[in-house]
Amino acid sequence: MLATVLAGFADAFTLVNLFFVLFGVALGQFVGAVPGIGPVMAMAIAIPFTFGLDTLPAIAFLVGVNKGGLVGGAVPAILINTPGTPDAAATALDGHPLARQGKPLKATKMALFSSVTGDTFSDIILITVSAPLAILALRMGPVEIFALMIFAFSVLAALVGNSLVKGIVAAGLGLLFASIGSDPENYTPRLIFGHFELFDGLPLPSVAIGMLAISEILRRLSRIKGTMRRAVEIEETGRPEDQRVSWREYWGCRFTMLRGAMIGTLLGALPGIGSTAAAFISYASTKAGAKKPETFGKGDLHGIAAAESANSSVVGANLIPLLTLGIPGSVSAALIISALMIHGVQPGPLLFESQGRLIYGLFGAMIMANVLNLVLGQIGLRFWVKVVTAPESIIFSVALLLCFVGVSMATGGVFGIAIMLLFAVLGYVMTNFGYSVVIFLIAFFLGPRFEISISQSLALMNGDWMRIIEYPVALILLVLAAVSAVWFLWQNRKQEEL
Amino acid sequence: MSPLADRCSGLFLVLCSLALFFWIIPTYTEVRDGGWLSPTTIPNSIAALLMVCGILITLRPTDHVPPHWQEFARAGLYAGVLAAGLWATSWVGFVYTAPVIAFVLMVLIGERRWPWLGLGCVVAPVVIWIVVVYVLQRPLP
Repeated sequence: MLATVLAGFADAFTLVNLFFVLFGVALGQFVGAVPGIGPVMAMAIAIPFTFGLDTLPAIAFLVGVNKGGLVGGAVPAILINTPGTPDAAATALDGHPLARQGKPLKATKMALFSSVTGDTFSDIILITVSAPLAILALRMGPVEIFALMIFAFSVLAALVGNSLVKGIVAAGLGLLFASIGSDPENYTPRLIFGHFELFDGLPLPSVAIGMLAISEILRRLSRIKGTMRRAVEIEETGRPEDQRVSWREYWGCRFTMLRGAMIGTLLGALPGIGSTAAAFISYASTKAGAKKPETFGKGDLHGIAAAESANSSVVGANLIPLLTLGIPGSVSAALIISALMIHGVQPGPLLFESQGRLIYGLFGAMIMANVLNLVLGQIGLRFWVKVVTAPESIIFSVALLLCFVGVSMATGGVFGIAIMLLFAVLGYVMTNFGYSVVIFLIAFFLGPRFEISISQSLALMNGDWMRIIEYPVALILLVLAAVSAVWFLWQNRKQEEL
Repeated sequence: MSPLADRCSGLFLVLCSLALFFWIIPTYTEVRDGGWLSPTTIPNSIAALLMVCGILITLRPTDHVPPHWQEFARAGLYAGVLAAGLWATSWVGFVYTAPVIAFVLMVLIGERRWPWLGLGCVVAPVVIWIVVVYVLQRPLP
């Protein structure tokens, strides 16, 4: 065991991996700083470009993009009150007022330090708990996995978006599109409409890039009315103490950051609760417990620390259900799962046994990404501030060209691009009618495994569903799924009445 | 706040699920005897689920307000440009169509500054071409 851990960490700390993590973090901070792109979109576009790489550098690069994006996302939130990523919205509450006081660098640096602190905390939790949890998960058979997926779908449907029914629809659509291709039991063609390119199912990169990147770009483009965005106009005071965060200021926020990191880690480990919710809950609880709550919203460093430590700590915690159960808790985790699958690695509890070295290598890369995030953030903040002023016309047109090329590389032709465009339109329509693309994608990723688990469960129970009472864990999970669905429905109705 | 959007999407779901249940799934799924799970079970179950949800959404709509139709029209325009770009790419290749797609998109967005247009229409496609063909050694579409 120790040998695997050490070998994994040794694999991570090589010059090649250092380069790819550094490149990933730099790209993440860059795209995070551009309002409208964000790390998820960047990850989706980047996946096809990692095909030529070995598994560890490829995953390390994607993790770098994800982590860098959270730091970069705070920059436009603080400077122009336009969060680069949705999870940075809470950062803007105090970050932007502080920037308007002539202290933009102080605000961005506080965001950077608290983001790295929260991220490191959740990575430590991930490294410590995931292996024991995976051992527990290994005791689960197909029946329990089927029940667990039902539970995950019910929690996801209830927590993401504002309507449980629409969440169920999104999950159903994801499962429906996942069923296109050959049936896993008989290998007969199903819903391929004569296109034999679909025999292996819809290409994952086309669906992910179409729904995440292109549909979001379409949404952004449809709101532009022929005018270019204005550049940032924030002046600095010029005083050295306003351009840095002193150790005293950082240490003064230690409990705020710890609370934020704990909230983010706890919520991140549950599927469906994103970093945006974690940031706002942490911000609200910090404000509620503050001695001077009236300073919040006016440029309080504690406000920035609370939001950033929480939203960044979700990243590591999101990987807990992914690595232990093979269930992605967020879209970024789903993208990492798809990258793992593209590189021939099957996520789930067996991962620690079959690919232990790779997983510990990934942990090593995550730690490396945190350090590089701090170093690069310190050096690059002034540059990312300039990035905010880049016109949307160039950002979106280049992103679209990259999507074309990326999907073509991944699928080997224009058919994959056509699928990508179809899913872009579907994603655009779903988002605008209040159906969650996040749930759709997670259900799409889990679809084939879901069907196989049903088939295996039926085989185990000899086709008699009543025999599920012989599987107490599965039964508890199914009851929990039903209870949580009813509870969330009741909560929804209560909110509607208010 | 109008519940019309939800009623429309609910009805659309009901119609889709009926089409799936009675036409698409039976026509386009090859069923073979044997095994524990028929190839049509999962799609049919989802179609039934979508129908129930569609009815629920139609009868109990939320107050979700979709964007103005003009936004949909603009998004449709951009999607049309991309589809035309894809069609052109399948005929003459990405190298020749990429600058045109980038130019049309940038002009539609409202960009009129020549340095930025040059960057987006010439420099960016050339950089992509060099990276994909020479660095990654993969073919362009």
